[in-house]
Amino acid sequence: MLSYNFKYELKLLLRSRWIQLLSIILLLLFGFSTFNGLHKIEKRKKDITAAHSEVEENDAMMLKLLDSVEQGMEVSASRWTIPTSPMAVGNYHPRVAAMEPQPLAFMATGQADLFTHYVKPKVSGDDHTLNFAEMTSPVQLLFGSFDLAFVIVYLLPLLIIAFSYNVLSSERESGSLRLLASQPIRIRSWVLQKMGLRFFWLSVIVLYALCIVFFMVSPPLEQVSAFLGLFGLIIAYMLFWFALAFLINLWIGRSAKNAVALLGLWIAFVLLIPSVLNQLGNTLYPIPSRTLMINEMRSLKAEVTKKQDEILDNFLRDHPEYAINDTTQFRGFYHRYMASQRLIKEELAPMINAYEDQLRKQQDWVGIFKWFSPAIIVQESLNQRAGTSTQDYEDYRKQVVSFAGSWREHFMPFLYNNKNFSQKDYPDLPKFQFVPKSFSSLLTVPLLFLISIGLFGLGFFVSTKMEKNGILTTS
Amino acid sequence: MIITNNLSKRYGDQTALENLNLNIKEGDIYCLLGANGAGKTTTINLLLGFIEPSSGSAFINQLSVHENLKATKRFLAYIPENLMLYPSLSAMENLEYFSGIAGKKLSSQQLKDFLEEAGLQSEAFQKRISNFSKGMRQKVGIAIALAKDAKVLLLDEPTSGLDPKASNEFGLLLQKLRTKGVATLMATHDLFRAKEVATHIGIMKDGQLKQQFVTKDLSLQQLEEAYLNTMKYKELAS
Repeated sequence: MLSYNFKYELKLLLRSRWIQLLSIILLLLFGFSTFNGLHKIEKRKKDITAAHSEVEENDAMMLKLLDSVEQGMEVSASRWTIPTSPMAVGNYHPRVAAMEPQPLAFMATGQADLFTHYVKPKVSGDDHTLNFAEMTSPVQLLFGSFDLAFVIVYLLPLLIIAFSYNVLSSERESGSLRLLASQPIRIRSWVLQKMGLRFFWLSVIVLYALCIVFFMVSPPLEQVSAFLGLFGLIIAYMLFWFALAFLINLWIGRSAKNAVALLGLWIAFVLLIPSVLNQLGNTLYPIPSRTLMINEMRSLKAEVTKKQDEILDNFLRDHPEYAINDTTQFRGFYHRYMASQRLIKEELAPMINAYEDQLRKQQDWVGIFKWFSPAIIVQESLNQRAGTSTQDYEDYRKQVVSFAGSWREHFMPFLYNNKNFSQKDYPDLPKFQFVPKSFSSLLTVPLLFLISIGLFGLGFFVSTKMEKNGILTTS
Repeated sequence: MIITNNLSKRYGDQTALENLNLNIKEGDIYCLLGANGAGKTTTINLLLGFIEPSSGSAFINQLSVHENLKATKRFLAYIPENLMLYPSLSAMENLEYFSGIAGKKLSSQQLKDFLEEAGLQSEAFQKRISNFSKGMRQKVGIAIALAKDAKVLLLDEPTSGLDPKASNEFGLLLQKLRTKGVATLMATHDLFRAKEVATHIGIMKDGQLKQQFVTKDLSLQQLEEAYLNTMKYKELAS
């Protein structure tokens, strides 16, 4: 039966204009979303390159200025900005801490709409005030991005539903089911084979679409395995939707009811469950108000500022390496400021930790219950593969905070030893290099396959009884 | 070939079929006559295994239908009132598909031979079914039965809606199958066609087989009277 089903289902598919149209739509969606994603990545790369160029230009000017000062020439610049002052270098010539896009970043916008991809930590800046938020169009936030992940997570299931909702019911409604059922076959096996062929057909289209995407992106060869992983993920997700369509085809009789049931499941899995989980997460683990937090920080800073002399004394007691025996040297604003910054950081730590703790609890909550919706799992996995997941941006933020610390520490000996910054110190300035980590879980694809196979098994088990009672075969 | 022993089907309080006993042998054509709701289609559905009997048993080629559902379907062919084939496939393709899923692998020449034997004109072999008349589709149905080498043929109102010529051709095809030893059970309203093709005729009413005849023992007029009397259309019978 299999070979004949395969051969003739393929013939029927090839002769169906509806299926041809769906296949073309799928190819166009993949192509357009990739183009869209690549366009965004280009813009992101350009922004980062522009930021680097700006730093290079500033550095060239700084070195020129330093050269002039070192040659004893007078320079027409404010005392605060002359780069012989380490604080001037640390504040007015920061490095770019950029998060370069990953090779597959085009396919999932993920958190990229919400977070910036480069910051310039300053020596006198606070880690918590580093602004990672991106200015984004509210309209875009409302409707989301038309990227490959959107096509895969949201639209592909709809195409699968259109492709498979009436495999059995159309036979019943056209009357050919009675003729089929009079053959020595099991209807559920026959439906499964038809579904299998349609799944195979769509897989071929997806593979073909991914080849086009691959051609458009022309990634390095080592990314081939990433593409294969992506293909595996899409196949597993498709299988889940085909399994649902299989169940609905067996359980419900009429095409219209099948379509409504499958669309209901789409709404539940793709829209409702993610939204409910998010809402529950917010209710169970509310994040403290950011405004309140900033207000508290400000009042703390104001208090600390009042006792800067005392703080500096304590700081110098803790750091004898910065003790000055030369009474001609002075302790000025930045000495007090930088000493108080450390204290502020320590004092604020519990508040920031509480904020991050709640955020982590929310994420853990979603992490546990995400298995209720394959759409969440697939979206998360695509974001992780693209390097645009929450974890990626959190990791980037941590790397930036760590770099900001190094940047600050680099200038401390200059400041407290009252040492001037010179041209020869320039090459030693710390540089930021983002090191991406892989957060992609190896379990996602096998578990999705297992869930789908479970659903197929359930369909088989239940339909055995129904077929025996004649429900499947009579019109 | 086809045997039913006290075969009954009830839906709650409603009796669709009651204690039906049939014994249709090789080469017999048995016509079940009766009004709508008499139990003809229920009998066919039970023999096809589409529904479970409430009591009694049915056998095809000595195998219990409900214990050997898949096996009994290997021996039988079924042509419903409206034979729906795949409209975007040709006659040849439909025949290959249905005989293929029934486990018969046929060459292109064999497919043509079966279609020809069923009386389909050769120029229609490669045409899509969507352009076929009901009579032509019935011929493809017969070709499927021939290709399957069916021992039993179940027909549910096969001549309804056919023009007299097509109906006559269909009758001739049944006669041809009869000579091959196929046991046929045909549910019909068509007394004339029943008298023409059947070896045996049964009249059903309210789920019961009221009368049985050997066709050659009675004339068309006698058959008509028996039918109308059974149906209690006495004024018409007289």
